[in-house]
Order: sequence, then C-alpha cells, then structure tokens
Amino acid sequence: MKIFITDGSPEAFFTAVFDAFAEKECIVTSDENVQLAFDSQVIRTVYDEEKCERVRKGIARYDKDAEDDVLFVLRSCDPLKEQIAFEYIKKLMKSKTAVKKMLSLPEVIEFNDILYKVTGEAHRLKGLLRFMESRDNVLYAPYSPDNDITDILMRHFASRLKNERFVIHDVKRKIAGMYNGHEWIMNYVGEAEVYLSEYERAFENLWKKYYLAVNIEERPHEKQMKRSMPVRYWKFLPEKNQKT
Amino acid sequence: MIDADKLEILTESAKYDVSCSSSGSRRTNKAGGLGNASVGGICHSFTPDGRCISLLKILMSNDCIYDCEYCPNRRSADVRRASLTPDEICELVINFYRRNYIEGLFLSSAVFGNPDKTMELMTETVSKLRRVYNFNGYIHMKGIPHADGALVMKAAKLADRMSYNVELPSEKSLKLLAPQKTKESLLLPMKSLNNAIEYDKQNNVRRGKVLPAGQTTQMIIGASPECDGQILKLTEALYRNMHLKRVYYSSYIPVVQSSKLPANGAGLLREHRLYQADWLIRFYGFDVNEICGEDENLSPDYDPKCAWALRNMHLFPVEINTAPLEMLLRVPGIGAKSAYRITEARKFSKLDFDNLAKMRIVLKRARHFITCKGKFCGTDSLAQVKTSLLISGSGEINEQLTMFSEPSTALSALTGEI
Ligand code: SF4
Repeated sequence: MKIFITDGSPEAFFTAVFDAFAEKECIVTSDENVQLAFDSQVIRTVYDEEKCERVRKGIARYDKDAEDDVLFVLRSCDPLKEQIAFEYIKKLMKSKTAVKKMLSLPEVIEFNDILYKVTGEAHRLKGLLRFMESRDNVLYAPYSPDNDITDILMRHFASRLKNERFVIHDVKRKIAGMYNGHEWIMNYVGEAEVYLSEYERAFENLWKKYYLAVNIEERPHEKQMKRSMPVRYWKFLPEKNQKT
Repeated sequence: MIDADKLEILTESAKYDVSCSSSGSRRTNKAGGLGNASVGGICHSFTPDGRCISLLKILMSNDCIYDCEYCPNRRSADVRRASLTPDEICELVINFYRRNYIEGLFLSSAVFGNPDKTMELMTETVSKLRRVYNFNGYIHMKGIPHADGALVMKAAKLADRMSYNVELPSEKSLKLLAPQKTKESLLLPMKSLNNAIEYDKQNNVRRGKVLPAGQTTQMIIGASPECDGQILKLTEALYRNMHLKRVYYSSYIPVVQSSKLPANGAGLLREHRLYQADWLIRFYGFDVNEICGEDENLSPDYDPKCAWALRNMHLFPVEINTAPLEMLLRVPGIGAKSAYRITEARKFSKLDFDNLAKMRIVLKRARHFITCKGKFCGTDSLAQVKTSLLISGSGEINEQLTMFSEPSTALSALTGEI
C-alpha cells in the first residue's frame, strides 16, 4: 500500500491528493511516525503547483466552501486529519455535488467532527485568550491551543483591537501572530521576554477580585465550569491562578 | 484607578441578575475605535457556580432610595454602600476589554437621589464610553423605573440592549413587595422602547439603530404565590406584545428576612422547568396552553416536552423520513440540532435506526415515539415509556437528584434547551 507523507502544509496535502486519487487504498499523512505495514511504499510528496491548483479548482467546482473547510480540518491536532480530509474530497469528487449536508455518510460525519473541534476551539479561545500589557504598550497573549488556530484568532482580534498592537503566541508550536496596528504576520517565536506595564498587575488583580465577587457561592457547580472551561486552558487565565 | 473594595461591593450587589448574554448584536468597529460586538456572543470565563462571564456586570451605585422587600440593597438594609463615577467605570471597561477579560458592560444601578439623576449618570457613562473612549463593544443597560422618557431614549441610542425587569409575575405581588415600582413604571418604558425598535425595523434604519440587541426582562420566581401557568402566560404576552429577546427567571434566594417573604428559596428545579417551557415557546412552536394550564404548575418529574408527549400519545409514533420538522421537534429526546440533522440527511437517502445511531442521535427516549422506514423499536406499554422518560434523560435525572438532595447546591441550565 502506498503511503503519501507530506510536510504538513496545505499545498503538499493538495498535491498528495492529486497523486493518491487513483489509488484503491492508500494513506495520506503528515505524521512521520506513521505505522508501516510490510507492503508499504513510502512516497514523500513535494509541493507541485499545477497538481495543487487542479485539486483546488476541482473541489471548488462542486462546493465553493469545501476548500475553506479542508483548510480548517488541516489545522487539527488529530493525526488522521489528512486521511479524513482526503476521504472527504474523494467523496465530493465522486458525488459531483456538495456533500457537506449528507449527514449520514461516514466520511462526512468524521470530517465534520474534526471541523467542529477546530472551529469550536477557535470560538472558545476568542473568549479565553488573555492579553497582558507590556511596558511599551503592546498586548501580549501566550496560550497553548490543541489545534493550530493562531491565524484564525489574529483575524478576529485585528478587527476588534484595530488600533492596538498585539501578539498572540502559541507557545507549544512556537509560532506567533503579530499585529502592528495595520496588518498582521505569522512568525516563528520560541520564547518571548515581556516587561509588564506599570498597571498590569493592578488590573489583573481587579479582574481576580471581580471573578471572586461575581460567583454565587451558595450554588457551586464545578462540573459545569470545567465542562465549559477545561482545566488545560487554566494555565493562562489569571482568574484561575489566584495566588498573588 | 477604581478602588478594589468598591468593585467588590458593586459586583456582589449586581450578581443575582441572571441575564448575562452578549449575543444578538453586530456592531462593527469604527475608525479609531476599540471593539466590536459578535453576533453569537462570547463567554470569557466561567465561575465555580457554572455561570458564564461575558459582561462586566456592576451597579453604578447600591445606595438606594427604594425599599423593595426582597433586595439586599433596599434603603432600610444595613449594608456597605458604594458608588462609582462615569470615568471610573469607563476606565475599568476599557482596560478589561483590551485584555480580553470581557465582551462589554452590563450597567445597572440602585436608585440614588432620584430616578432621573440615576438614569442620567448611567447614560453619561455610556455616552462617554461611546464618544470619548470610542468604545464599540457590547453594552447592556438596566432601565430605571420612573425615569424621564427622553433620557431613556437617549440611553437606548447608545446601548445594544436594555432591560426593564418586571420583577414579579403579578401586579398584586409587585405592590406588596416593591411598593415604589408600579406596573406602569416598568411596562410603559418597555413599550415605548419596543415602538422605537419597531419603527427602525419598518423603516429599514441601518445606522444608529435603537437597541440592536433588543430588550429582555427578568422576574423572581417563588417569592410570591403565582403558579407556573400564570408565569408562562405573562412570558408569552411579553414575547408577543413587547417582542422581548429573552425572559429570565431568577429563583428566589432568601437573602433578606421578611414576614412578607417565604422562608425558603424556590427550588432550582422549578426555575429549570420554566426555562425548558420558555424554550418550547420560543423555538419549538408550542403554545402555553399545550404545556401548562393557567392555574397549574409544571411537572417536576418530566420535562415539559415529555409531559406533553405523554398526554398526546395518540400522535405518535411519527415516521422519521417523512414527519415535518415541527413534529420532529416534538419528539422527546430529539432537540433542534438532531431535528436539523435528520431533515438534512433524509433529503439524500432514507434513514434507518443504524443511520440515526451513526449520526449520534440519542434514541433512548426517542425510540418510543418514532418509526424508521416503518419499523418501530420502542415499547407499546405506556408504563414502560413513562419509566424510560424518567430515568433516561441524558443526565438530567442525576442533576435532578442532586437538586432534590441539596436544593441549594445545584444549578439549572440557564437556557432550558431540551
Ligand atoms: S430599586 Fe429595589 S431592587 Fe433596585 S436596588 Fe433599589 S431596593 Fe433593590
């Protein structure tokens, strides 16, 4: 069986879809540690502009939203994301019509599951991301999301905090989005050194105070809180690190 | 900078107000401005009581000249008093918003000095936020009863949402427990705000709309003797006549000792059932009469949809592949999401039980009320159906049991989604 290994970029993925399309059974992945069977034949896919474009155009012919959906799915932390996106594209091309709403097809169910996880986490973090103000008035938000969603958040905050300068830093993937008040770019950033503004701690403390005061103590429901705000996100939330 | 103790007092005084949602407004950032409003609403944190923090919810002042029986801030109460200036509030909102702690401001107040002065200072605060600080985030303002109509209109042009709380489910109870508030002082401003909103809608006003996220209200449940049927009738009237976006119920918590008030709080289960009924009225096309008689209470044992289905067994089972959406929504165990998935999927191929399971539609309850390609997988015995509705409600029962054993320590879902 052929195994197409990509470098994780969408371009290489679309190229691999082109090469893999005619195969009866094959694997598309960016996972270097993929389990190999006896008869596996490893093919390293390198980006090919023409193949990539043909796949993208082919997809768009039947469903103009499908490419965006695939791009979302490719940000997932699920090791099967490429395979699931590939099966989805195959189904789309063979059906010659949008399959997004054929909600009883297994390919569509699996694809939508991943899609909702990615968009769901992005939505959740639009709320849970926390900025701190640096001495030179740049807002800095470190975080560690499950999925690679920094550029989705950049778009949201660039329109919300239009006149601010800010950085959103995915410390796990060591990448950061940076906005200078006009436009934003993505970059590799390992560790960042941030000097906090004079007022930062004071506002953080007011926020912690508010968090404690607004809670209705007579009605604890920790389970509900943890369901809505999973513990893995707490590390970057001042209100969940109450020691001052 | 605002004093931390003041913040504490004015937050604790405001926290029993349950309307926390920030949804329903799409406000775009203007040049040079800070913030926008997101249509879906965004939660920024969750407190240990399970509630979402979306807005900075504070009182401008808790120094009240009124004497509402149930309120910890009433004039005759002995509590710490505090007030904030418009600038103190603006600074806090801007700094919280920039750090992404909040989606906006929920500004309420006790009546200090007189109603006009209160409304004026609140409006000045919001006006400063919008005009001086260029704040385009979400703002919810509480309306002050008896305040001048022109002032209220001015506020409505600046805020995304306003709420006049009806407080209690009948005029009689209002007279008894909130003597300075009158039915007119709550309903008339609500009505003129509704007229202004409707005017904008009919004349296609796009820019500078009045209250783009509409009006809501809140009432206290269990501080007075009205039954659920009466409460739901009032709810329905408010939705139909005032076009409210939401009616919130707040189950009574005895924070105040009074001979006019019951000694015990209303159970959270009751609040939960009311929200479920409210949900059926707003989204599932139910009339109040179908759910609850005028002088009845909702069943504590079954959610209102199950209770309705049990009374109407002759309408079931319905065929999944052909039943209209309105009917699917009435099947116990099938919610709006499942109903949507079914109506989409069945356009492409006929569905059987296996398909439904793969689509993660929970059949535990629903199977007694549906057929798939003519096949029925439930039981015909009404007694068995009843027990399955009692014990299989996706965790609801566990929650109910905790409610019964420790009534004060459980929390109902605010939405009532079924
Ligand atoms: S008006 Fe009534 S409910 Fe409002 S703060 Fe004053 S006493 Fe409390």
